Amino acid sequence: MPIITLLYEYLETLVGTDRETILARLPMFGADIERMEEDHVDVEFFANRPDLYSTEGVARALRGFLGIETDLPAYEVAPSAIDFSVDPGLAGIRPYLGSAVIRNVHLDEDSIVSLMGLQEALHWAVGRGRKKVAIGIHDLARITPPFRYYAADPATAFIPLDFDREMTLTEILADHPKGRDYAHIVEPYPRYPLIVDAHDRVLSFPPIINGELTRVTEETTDILLDTTGTDRRAVMTAVNIICTAFAETGATIESVHVDGEQMPSLAPSERTVSVAECRRLLGIDLAAADLAALLQRMRIGAVPDGTDRVRIRIPCYRADIMHDWDVFEDAAIAYGYDAIEPALPRTFTIGREHPVSRCMDLVRTLMVGLGFQEMMPFTLTSERVLFANMRRDADPATLRLMRPISEEQTVVRTTILPMLAEILQLNVHRELPMRLFAVGDVVQHAATHQHAAAVSMHPEADFSEIYAAADVLCRELGLASTIAESDDPAFIPGRRGDIFVGGARVGVFGELHPEVLGAFELDQPAAGLELDLRAVLQSPSRRDTP
Amino acid sequence: METDTTQTLTLNEKRLLIALNTKKEAGPELLAGELATTGEAVIQYALSCAGKGLATVDRAVAVAFRLTPEGETYAREGLPERQVLESFDERIAMKELQQHPLARIGIGWMRKKGWVAIREGIVEKTGDAPQGEDEAALQDLAASDAGLKMLLKRGLVAEEESVAHTIRITPEGEALVAAGIDLAEEVGTLTREQIVSGEWKNLKLRRYSVTTLPRRVFPGKIHPYQQLLGEMRRILLNMGFAEIYGDVVQSSFWNFDALFQPQDHPAREMQDTFFIDVRRECPEGWETVRDMHEAGGETSSTGWGGAWSRDTAEGCVLRTHTTGLTIRYLHDNPEPPVKAFSIGRAYRREAIDPTHTPEFEQLEGVVMDDGVTFRHLLGFLREFYRQMGFEDVRFRPGYFPYTEPSVEPEVWVDGLGWVELGGAGVFREEVTAANGLACPVLAWGLGISRLAMLRMNLKDLRLLYRSDVDWVREYPLSRAQARGGR
Repeated sequence: MPIITLLYEYLETLVGTDRETILARLPMFGADIERMEEDHVDVEFFANRPDLYSTEGVARALRGFLGIETDLPAYEVAPSAIDFSVDPGLAGIRPYLGSAVIRNVHLDEDSIVSLMGLQEALHWAVGRGRKKVAIGIHDLARITPPFRYYAADPATAFIPLDFDREMTLTEILADHPKGRDYAHIVEPYPRYPLIVDAHDRVLSFPPIINGELTRVTEETTDILLDTTGTDRRAVMTAVNIICTAFAETGATIESVHVDGEQMPSLAPSERTVSVAECRRLLGIDLAAADLAALLQRMRIGAVPDGTDRVRIRIPCYRADIMHDWDVFEDAAIAYGYDAIEPALPRTFTIGREHPVSRCMDLVRTLMVGLGFQEMMPFTLTSERVLFANMRRDADPATLRLMRPISEEQTVVRTTILPMLAEILQLNVHRELPMRLFAVGDVVQHAATHQHAAAVSMHPEADFSEIYAAADVLCRELGLASTIAESDDPAFIPGRRGDIFVGGARVGVFGELHPEVLGAFELDQPAAGLELDLRAVLQSPSRRDTP
Repeated sequence: METDTTQTLTLNEKRLLIALNTKKEAGPELLAGELATTGEAVIQYALSCAGKGLATVDRAVAVAFRLTPEGETYAREGLPERQVLESFDERIAMKELQQHPLARIGIGWMRKKGWVAIREGIVEKTGDAPQGEDEAALQDLAASDAGLKMLLKRGLVAEEESVAHTIRITPEGEALVAAGIDLAEEVGTLTREQIVSGEWKNLKLRRYSVTTLPRRVFPGKIHPYQQLLGEMRRILLNMGFAEIYGDVVQSSFWNFDALFQPQDHPAREMQDTFFIDVRRECPEGWETVRDMHEAGGETSSTGWGGAWSRDTAEGCVLRTHTTGLTIRYLHDNPEPPVKAFSIGRAYRREAIDPTHTPEFEQLEGVVMDDGVTFRHLLGFLREFYRQMGFEDVRFRPGYFPYTEPSVEPEVWVDGLGWVELGGAGVFREEVTAANGLACPVLAWGLGISRLAMLRMNLKDLRLLYRSDVDWVREYPLSRAQARGGR
């Protein structure tokens, strides 16, 4: 989640109170204070509140939360008579455009830090790394309307930001740092998105880079905003958040005609919510007037409408409010989570163990009784450990990760004994005997079931020791088992046994083959066992086993 | 009344000290005679007394010579060359002399010593056969060094190291004897006969030194982390929750879509989640989930907008949380009241380092009933954390995609302050309605490995999964069970 830098002096000016008051209440508003410095605080805001990614937005919300200025903030939009057209050829590429004109901008160091941070955070949170939405801010004085957003030939050339020579779009993707970072978004298409003015001068190559021509400086007073993307709602959210953040600093907003549509409107959206439903959700006793007052402190316009209804107007920058319950959460935050007295419901239910857990606990009891120590190895492993090291053929039922993160973890384990051998390897210098066991999930054919495994390593570790342990497990778990000579290559021939229950092979035990010991760099005899607990559970499908 | 030291002495040690006290110093053989035992046993008793500071044992190594069995025979009967020489008069035919039983050794030595000359098959005495140094030494090993060396060379004498022990009583030992020692018979191990016959009443059982450390053994043991998981499981069972256990492999439908996680959410990208090449069909009624995503279904929600892809929902992942199991369980058990929990591994595509592992345990609980509220959720959370030993719990607003309102519980840990521990909320109506649930669902979840690090004071998460056997051996189970907080 984005971390926003709030400069104390700028924040104090915008909120209208001192930093101590602000910092004391900030956590209860829904923010994590990451670190406090001499002149600023770094705060993490949630992914659903991009309107809080600027100092201006935070101040607006805090003025309400602290009771300094409540109710809906009003934003006016004047018409600008600027036209912006969208080329239908962008339909499959990047079809949506949002725009606005922002005048009377007074950028200083603090507001530039805040607005650059806002743009970055929006690219990440709303824009999904610029794929869904990308934002461009231009010095309007340098360009001439009308503007045109179209699918351009990749051979088109302009001077990108931070360069002093013309480059084609193709060159930018290859050589410009931003081009390399975001090339994957446009590369699949034959034509690339481009924004030009009346004289075909390039404003922006969204979502990659702006032109040097429209660079914004401290002298800039009038801004043209463009947001482009693949999701109309997200594109408009970005426009609304940026325009209202500028408006908080005293700028005025003018609309743009995009293919005949006036935007942005910055008008609130309206809903009517039920007070009873709010009470049912939160468990707080509220009247319509109480709810309205709480919502006003969250900068939501709210007017009681009878005893059960409150008519609300949600500011245009609140993209997170999708459902009435989102509104009720705001009421709970304004009420104060620390003011809600926790209560236990009268719901009566009976605790019930899952048979799989009970079975695994039984195995633990038995293995501990036999003197084995429990281990909890990873379930992710490699075919080298599972099969090559164990001298076993690869199991075709093994589940492979499509994009593993390391060579050590490419598959989900099909057996557990190799994991124990690996733990012995890590502990090779520890005092002997080492007797280890593990019980847990394995996956075959993309289905999860449970195994138990154990290993004993010491100079006298042998077949009879592990046979005795396997025998204890079978007897105590109630398995009607028979033993037959095994041909599992992980064990020494003639010193290995298969466990059968009802004709099915459910386990194996024996003395680990010296080549297996060698593969795990073990220099002492070791004997191991593995048991498929399906033999115990016999529950092919259960309602409590999703 | 005996002193503490005498109580730990064996009867034999006491007898040795008494015998030694009259002599002050003696060799083991002498003492063995008095104690009617062997020298070796006396040395054992003495060493044990020495360990208690009551006696000293000096060990002196000396080299001694003794006749070999062959040497002893010759000492009685004479060296072979002397015997052969005396078996004939002045001369004898070689053939005849070779009949003598010692001829093979004797003839050679006679020639070597110049006692005989051999010419044309006839052996003739030279007349000069004096008693040699070797013969003197044979009678008395101390008589001649040169003779001794000759006998050593011929293997008639062997060199032998002998150890001589000198046992002395210390002033502490003397004081002990002076104070009086009880010589009643002592018993080390009780036998069945002694117990059954009642003889034990007359026995004096030897007392052991309890300050001597015992042999260090390590029991079979449940892993400390499993101990913690088991404790949490017990708490939830005690609170009346039913346990859910399920598949590691989940369809995106259950893992994400049923929980109203938008299809373009970053968590659904290959970058963050382990995808696998398996497809599972969406369950019957999937259209409700689609409608919820696209336009909010029948609820007051707007939905996410855009088109929902069934194809995307059918792709499978290693579960990124256990919440997919929970919603499926509720979908299958829609009648209230339901209280359920699960503890299981979840998977995230993260490289292994001291604070990240690609798999980790997650605990999750839900309460579904008519009339349960956000206030009740806080009540459950407070109770659960108190059961875990965290007395002070506070709640802050949080954000999770499938709950509204959402809350971040924090617990007070001495030395750390408020620590965020898990997340919770009321399932969004977009989640409950899409899964056919009519009642509110209170839900909370907790990454347990974080709690384990807190409880076990671990700096490295990997130790839980790739454990140092010695760590497990040494980690006291009581500490794994100890309740946290203050």
